[in-house]
Amino acid sequence: MQNNNEIILKAINKSYQKGDNTVVVHDNFNLTIKSGEFVALMGPSGLGKSTLLHLMGGLDQPTQGEVWIGGQRIDNLTQKQLTQWRAQSIGFVFQSHHLLPVLSAQGNVELPLALTPLNRKQRKEHASMALQLVSMSERADHYPKELSGGQEQRVAIARAIVSDPQILLCDEPTGNLDRKTADEILALLAKLNSELGKTIVMVTHDNKAAEYATRVINLESYILSQNKAQAEAQNNKMNKAEVSLGSNL
Amino acid sequence: MSQSLGLIEQLYINIKQAQALTVINFKSFPQRIAASLVSIISIGCVAAVILSVLAMTEGMMKTLHQSGLDNTILVMRAGAVSELQSVMFPVEMNILANNEKVIRDEQGQAQVSAEMFVNAEVNFNDASGEQVSKSLALRGISATTTLFRPNFKLVSGKLFNTGVRELLIGQAIARRMPELIVDRIITLGGAQWKISGIFSDENSVFESELWADIGMVQSDYQRGNTIQSIRLALNDSNDLAALEKEWQDDPRLNIRIITEKQFFADQAESLTRLIRWLGFPVALVMALGAMVAALNTMYAAIASRSKEIATHKAIGFTPFAISVSIVCEAVLIALVGGALGILPLYLVFDGWTAATQNASSLSQIMFNFDINAILIAKSMALALLIGLLGGLLPAFKAMKLPVTQALRD
Repeated sequence: MQNNNEIILKAINKSYQKGDNTVVVHDNFNLTIKSGEFVALMGPSGLGKSTLLHLMGGLDQPTQGEVWIGGQRIDNLTQKQLTQWRAQSIGFVFQSHHLLPVLSAQGNVELPLALTPLNRKQRKEHASMALQLVSMSERADHYPKELSGGQEQRVAIARAIVSDPQILLCDEPTGNLDRKTADEILALLAKLNSELGKTIVMVTHDNKAAEYATRVINLESYILSQNKAQAEAQNNKMNKAEVSLGSNL
Repeated sequence: MSQSLGLIEQLYINIKQAQALTVINFKSFPQRIAASLVSIISIGCVAAVILSVLAMTEGMMKTLHQSGLDNTILVMRAGAVSELQSVMFPVEMNILANNEKVIRDEQGQAQVSAEMFVNAEVNFNDASGEQVSKSLALRGISATTTLFRPNFKLVSGKLFNTGVRELLIGQAIARRMPELIVDRIITLGGAQWKISGIFSDENSVFESELWADIGMVQSDYQRGNTIQSIRLALNDSNDLAALEKEWQDDPRLNIRIITEKQFFADQAESLTRLIRWLGFPVALVMALGAMVAALNTMYAAIASRSKEIATHKAIGFTPFAISVSIVCEAVLIALVGGALGILPLYLVFDGWTAATQNASSLSQIMFNFDINAILIAKSMALALLIGLLGGLLPAFKAMKLPVTQALRD
């Protein structure tokens, strides 16, 4: 029985065509993130960290393999089902906050609630609560251009959690921020993880993130060890086959 | 049942989402107004051109349709398509007048009006003292003519005296050429004529004419005692077909009869056909251009907002709702363009008196630009259609936008 927010990537192959060439991003990749974990996915560029995040969020689909989130297989859902599932289950935080400049902080946070059956008053209340969680209540009426980079990212986090998804997928959330502000954002994510039990997967290049995450996965060494383990398993299998063949002879 | 409920629910969700995104797009529209300017201007021009064509056609139709009476019979020489081409003799008028089916007054006199119609070269000095020459319709009328013009009204001055070179000018001419006022002397075919008054006739085509004593016109234009058309009314308009047959069989007559209403309706058709043939293709080409501009604007808008659209998709907005909001934005652009094209035209030109050459009378015909609610609605509908069509392809592109690629770019 899988936990509600457990993320399982099973034998994932992901490749895409670039001209005549097929670029393989992931080959037989496996990963399990337990419910309530705060995982930092690290490693050099080009290893497919963001691709993994997109697969977990249903924004992209594997060439082969299975993606299970909270006990539900999502890689075989239709785009329409994925859209609906994403609205209920996943919160995204991007490197660039992508806030709408014409909406106030409150308006931006309220936006995902347009996808829910909540009425205007309820939407307002929920958005206020989310802003309070990220300590942005006092700036609720401010527009993005009136906010600092850190404040904008806080609003983006409030937008990601306002519909109460149990999983937060963060793609370089501190990439555009200075050290002090980045620490504040990381602390905020850690708080959401520890106090509200959100499962968080964060792609980052920031080594300091390790101090906040409950698990750090260096994708480069993780893939190497996975390949080694797979090779050993393959060798063992072959040795066993030889032994059994020898004894039969 | 549950499936249809599910569909309704889906539709409701999509509409709600599209509404939320449309409100956002509308809010941010002022920031993008400069980028949308080409579309706005082109759509505005199309709306203005189509409204001009429609207003001209409508104004001209109104003028000509208002001109004829159903129970007035116009008699001309057989084969003549206009009064200008017709020549008739007093003896023919007597034969017609003696027919018992023609209405008579209390004294037993047949109500028949003999009329002359010439194309007059009118010369006068304008406000700056420069000589102006205009080709206007001059109608020689008799005492009974006003019986056939129930809407005739003297607006200023007085009726002309018979036997002298005095004339009345129609109100449309007076509006178009404000130099022509009562007591002013103008030159017609080398002779001096005095304007005795200005008349109105409910905006009919007669307001584009000069009216003078038929005898003076015959004399000045050396027509002897010939006339060009005869107007008469019948006791029973149902007699028209029988009467036509009777007169066609009469060897003394070689005439064409037609109701005045039909005569002017035919003229309206030929005049407005030209405007439509010229105006609508121009409007169509412009509409295509405007559609391309709208298409361009919306493609550019999507390109510059690909991350925003991708974010909406990532948050959970449906591609359908996103595309609807894009179409709504294109329609908003069209609405602004349409309003900017229509409003100045309405404020400046509604009721404005314009003139054009009437091919059948070889003289100017004046008509009012008539910009009414129906024409405005038609022009606006075209503008909105351009916006809608211009928004569809970009909306489809937005719908298909790959989220992961847009977020990476």
